Amino acid sequence: MPSVCFYFQVHQPYRIRPFSFFESSPSADYFDESANRSIMKKVAEKCYLPTNQLLLELIHRFEGRFRISYSITGVALEQMQRYAPEVLDSFQQLVRTGCVELLGETYYHSLAGVYHRPEFLEQIKLHRDLLNELFGVSPTVFRNTELIYNDAIGEIIQDLGYKAIIAEGADDILDWRSPNFLHHLPGGSLKLLLKNYRLSDDIAFRFGDRGWKSYPLRSETFAEWIHRGSGNAEVVNLFMDYETFGEHQWDSTGIFDFLRHLPEQILAKGDWDFATPTEVADRYPARGALPVERLTSWADEKRDLTAWNGNEIQERALREVYEIHEEILRRGDRELLDISRRLQTSDHFYYMCTKWAADGDVHAYFSPYDSPYDAFIYYMNVLRHLRARLGLQGEAEHHI
Amino acid sequence: MRILMLGWEYPPHIAGGLGIACEGLTRALARQELEIHFIVPQLFGDEDAEHMVLQEPHRRRVPALAKQELTSEEYSLFGEDEAGGSPLRIPALLKPYWNEEDFEYYLSTRSDLKETFQQLADLGSGFFEEETESTEGGAVKKKSGYGPDIFQEIGRFTARVLQSVLPSVGTTKEYDLIHAHDWITFPAGVSLARELQIPLITHVHSLEYDRSGGHHGSERIRGIERLGVTHATKVIAVSHYTKSIIHREHSIPKEKIAVVHNGIYSKEVRNHYSTQWKGKRKVVLFLGRITIQKGPDYFVQAAKRVVEHIPEVLFVMAGTGDMLGKMIRLTHELGISENFHFTGFLKEHEVEQMFSAADLYVMPSVSEPFGISALEAIDFNTPSLISKQSGVAEVLAHSLKFDFWDRDRLSDLIINGLLHEELRKDMVLMAREELKRLRWDTAASKTRELYYDVLS
Repeated sequence: MPSVCFYFQVHQPYRIRPFSFFESSPSADYFDESANRSIMKKVAEKCYLPTNQLLLELIHRFEGRFRISYSITGVALEQMQRYAPEVLDSFQQLVRTGCVELLGETYYHSLAGVYHRPEFLEQIKLHRDLLNELFGVSPTVFRNTELIYNDAIGEIIQDLGYKAIIAEGADDILDWRSPNFLHHLPGGSLKLLLKNYRLSDDIAFRFGDRGWKSYPLRSETFAEWIHRGSGNAEVVNLFMDYETFGEHQWDSTGIFDFLRHLPEQILAKGDWDFATPTEVADRYPARGALPVERLTSWADEKRDLTAWNGNEIQERALREVYEIHEEILRRGDRELLDISRRLQTSDHFYYMCTKWAADGDVHAYFSPYDSPYDAFIYYMNVLRHLRARLGLQGEAEHHI
Repeated sequence: MRILMLGWEYPPHIAGGLGIACEGLTRALARQELEIHFIVPQLFGDEDAEHMVLQEPHRRRVPALAKQELTSEEYSLFGEDEAGGSPLRIPALLKPYWNEEDFEYYLSTRSDLKETFQQLADLGSGFFEEETESTEGGAVKKKSGYGPDIFQEIGRFTARVLQSVLPSVGTTKEYDLIHAHDWITFPAGVSLARELQIPLITHVHSLEYDRSGGHHGSERIRGIERLGVTHATKVIAVSHYTKSIIHREHSIPKEKIAVVHNGIYSKEVRNHYSTQWKGKRKVVLFLGRITIQKGPDYFVQAAKRVVEHIPEVLFVMAGTGDMLGKMIRLTHELGISENFHFTGFLKEHEVEQMFSAADLYVMPSVSEPFGISALEAIDFNTPSLISKQSGVAEVLAHSLKFDFWDRDRLSDLIINGLLHEELRKDMVLMAREELKRLRWDTAASKTRELYYDVLS
């Protein structure tokens, strides 16, 4: 009895404001309160509220047979509390149905899994505590920032006691294998749920593309594609940004109608059902070990990390923020710790991406700044200001 | 298709970017098998223009290939140039050198042309006269920024172009259309197009609005510009920025204006200055005419703030212009003269050395139709900081942009550019990729399409 496993990513960063090098107020705020508020409110209106409402209706209608999962970052939950509490309410309502699983991740949607192991563990713990506080649940499946994964990360997550981890079904990693079966960490028991990127991206990226040969995609057609896996699949993992619904794909593309009719179409073929990641991990055995040496992610053609650390300005910014964070950790200033963790959110480095070609355009779409260089300059101005607050010399000036 | 182009200058004898743009565009058009006859007021004999017929009014330069095809008898029709070079007189001229009386007589037989000249004359106190402006002290001061007799020169150029082209055309249709570069050639372009009854394309590389730093400028020059863009079949603007100003200032419908961005040629030899010039001090470069259009005062004001944080920085102002003295005084007043170096006018190889020596190139123009120097800087591994009031800002994503008046932001960008080598390196690396897309061939293809468009 094969399953469709939905996981939706919910995340909003604390965007930093255009921060001047000459900012002299010691208590200057780094984050763009008004932009962050208005973006949260806008996305709430276009995506979170209508999609939550729709999914809640579907869950009630199918009486437990329609099941989904979310990973919601700590910084997104904080901003919901602050700017759109009704969104948090509706997520809590969804979780109370018992048909919705929440996954664990880093509170700050950071790259700490790659750059700072103690910090990685701490941010996972902070997120776990928040889920407990707000939803009364403890996650049993983990999702790392941007699906960043390799064996080393798998081992850390296994040691923390998680049953399974979400990762990208990248072609070069899978080789001859199928993403539609569970795998496990080599030499370990941690199960890997791999994203079926073709079917996921049909919804997340291609749905509203008028030039696409399958446009307009109907839920019958999509269900048929899923059903083709019968006999040759145990789980089809559909992983995507939640903002796909109503924000990346506008209401006018018909995305909500598609979603509304998808469950009945999937369930129309008797042996197919929906399962959450933990249910999938409990139900299906791992069919083999999957070694992953290189760091993978769900971004871009190459499914690598170059969107966040592929150029020298990104490397510089990453190096400096973890240096400063180390110093703040040493001093144990809670307020500054929160700030330097917000500055670790991966989006800041994504905005600095200057990769050319098709990928570059995608990044430009999500950036609040005029250019990646502006993103870098505002960020470095913030770090400089933070260093001054710590009484640290601006090392950079001595290097010139 | 044969195009008659009218220009004001041609490399290597150039005062600005116009000549370079004309060379780049015509070379690429010639590769697309368009025949171009290009008239400039004066040739010096060392122009390299084998790709087209480059000529002075009265004279016509024959490319090597064409010369070989001539019989000795035909060749004898050409007279040698005074310098003994290749520029040759136009064959089949009924009257090789008309005097002014001949020209007046010719005009009197062409009432439609006379009307054109009348329009020109109506624009000011006299089209062929020097433009003057009274200042408070009663002194007389030039306003146009060009030579003292610019209007006389334009008048002479217009007359000579008509003299040399019209008789040689005779009854056969020698040219398919006229393509006139910038306002100086517009009177000739408008007159010829009327006389020959062929389409006219006026190509706007800069406007009086730009040169006067976003102010009104010379009413007479604006008038000539308006004449050119009004009478043209189509107008080419070098940027969307310029297109919008033409639309606003001269009430030309946007559908009539096509945007063709300039291209650029990368020169491989350009790197070898770097090693011998890079010193210990970081260098921030301003390069261009030191006039109100180029925003030199914003550069100096921003420098003041940069020096407060990076005291060892060196600002170089390369070029000359009517604001040079004022800028030197300003650096003294601000107490940053130690951080400034004024080079005066630079020759081409000195310009290349200057770009090589610079760590950042700043173009704070108040109004810049294109701004090709921002692209040239990339060839010397120097990233560009450019004002948003420029055409080049439309095509160079990998640059830092600022409003010319925003001195805080400019000094912020300069400081960060100097502090972070990673930033400079990535900007240059990525801008090089962008330049690959910004080829003259692209500009020529668009221009060629426009030619077919106006002829259909």
